[in-house]
Amino acid sequence: MRPFHPTYIFEVLPQLFPYIGVTIAVTFGTVLGGGLIGLLLAAAKIKRGRIAKVLVNTYVYLTRCIPSIVMLFIVYYGLPELLMVFGIDINNIHKAFFVITTFSILFAANMSEVFRSAYEAVNKGQREAAVSIGMTEFQAFRRILLPQCTIYAIPNFANALVNLIKEGSLAYTIGLIDIMGKGQLIIGLNMGSYSLETYLALFILYWILILLIEKSLKFLEKRLLQGRKILNTAG
Amino acid sequence: MTINTEFMIQTFFDVLAGIPVTLELTFITLLLSFPIAFFMALQKLEKKKVSGKIVSGYVSFVRGTPVVLQILFLYSLLPTILNYLIKEILKLEFDIFSINPMIYAFVVFSLNTVAVLTEVFRSALLTVEHGQLEAALAIGLNKCQAYVRIIIPQAIVSALPNLCNATINLMKSTSLAFMMTVKDITAIAKVNAAFGYNYIEAYLVISVIYIILCTLVQLGYVAVERYFSSYKRFSTN
Repeated sequence: MRPFHPTYIFEVLPQLFPYIGVTIAVTFGTVLGGGLIGLLLAAAKIKRGRIAKVLVNTYVYLTRCIPSIVMLFIVYYGLPELLMVFGIDINNIHKAFFVITTFSILFAANMSEVFRSAYEAVNKGQREAAVSIGMTEFQAFRRILLPQCTIYAIPNFANALVNLIKEGSLAYTIGLIDIMGKGQLIIGLNMGSYSLETYLALFILYWILILLIEKSLKFLEKRLLQGRKILNTAG
Repeated sequence: MTINTEFMIQTFFDVLAGIPVTLELTFITLLLSFPIAFFMALQKLEKKKVSGKIVSGYVSFVRGTPVVLQILFLYSLLPTILNYLIKEILKLEFDIFSINPMIYAFVVFSLNTVAVLTEVFRSALLTVEHGQLEAALAIGLNKCQAYVRIIIPQAIVSALPNLCNATINLMKSTSLAFMMTVKDITAIAKVNAAFGYNYIEAYLVISVIYIILCTLVQLGYVAVERYFSSYKRFSTN
């Protein structure tokens, strides 16, 4: 049986710590990019006509069916060639660019559903009431609808975010050095020994990261709901 | 940018050979996970029990870590453990490295899917009122009969949409089986692509195939849902 050194887990962990930043940065970039596209998609689906709705639905359906690793490789190999047609050379760009692009495409589909369901969960009368007391459309959205939508969006957003981080670990397959990539590098440097210990260290890091995100978003949701209860009893 | 259409057609037919492998991985994994997940969901519903806590911890761990990592970890752990068991403890002459990698894939994906399905079943069981179980027990059914005849038929209707999701996610994650040297759709396409660096074409072809498979699975679930929810249509009339 191969030797197993539990203490090596604690030797590897400090080597992995600096790369948590990369994982978080890529996630953050994807949330920004994917969130923005998702917002546009949701807005198109809610406000625009039937054609926009069909197009958005098709987009969500297709991205739901394609495994992220396949998507990652399509973007990694296809995007440079596609942009080359327009005379843009991105062959020397950082790998993170491809990762963020890929996961933004996938995350946008999730987010569009999150935004749409949150928007539809808030009673239409709320907007009408706000407009009728003299608020502008924008004020009604910012002061009345948005705070309520946020509460409805949080659980689904937490789910999407957790999935994003887990799928994001595939980024090492195109050579991005995040915690997963660094773990693979360490295993490579050790000629394949200590692989179990390194994977265990990665398990610990991912689990803690995801538990932290889940717990803090749940806490946020509870805090926001508190305000609502006070309003309800007062009204 | 040039797309090699001839290669795409060729790959399409090559990849068709991998579809049974992907479907096998998906559905056998589901079948293996079903009973275990159901049992675990029952444990989790009883929170005070120690077994419930263990199940909660397991579910949280599996759902909190990436599938790739689980694959890499188990694929390097399982063969060594098996090798040790057979060579050192059972003293058998058996070449562990001749085991079909599909077996490892089943184990890895089942361990993952069990956790996902536990959550699906738990939430489905919660949708059935507790009074239903009490009523069933009151008229003299035993617990097993009550579950099989009263609770499960109702719970399965609310579980189906989530089951559909879980099936699709599982099918998508079987695309990672190439890491365990299983020759599924993705693996075949990768090999074909590497020959002439036709990666874009190969991956476009398999994404089309995944979309087709996904559509078929969803249509299947729509049909099953219509069948199981028929009791609802009668009761509303």
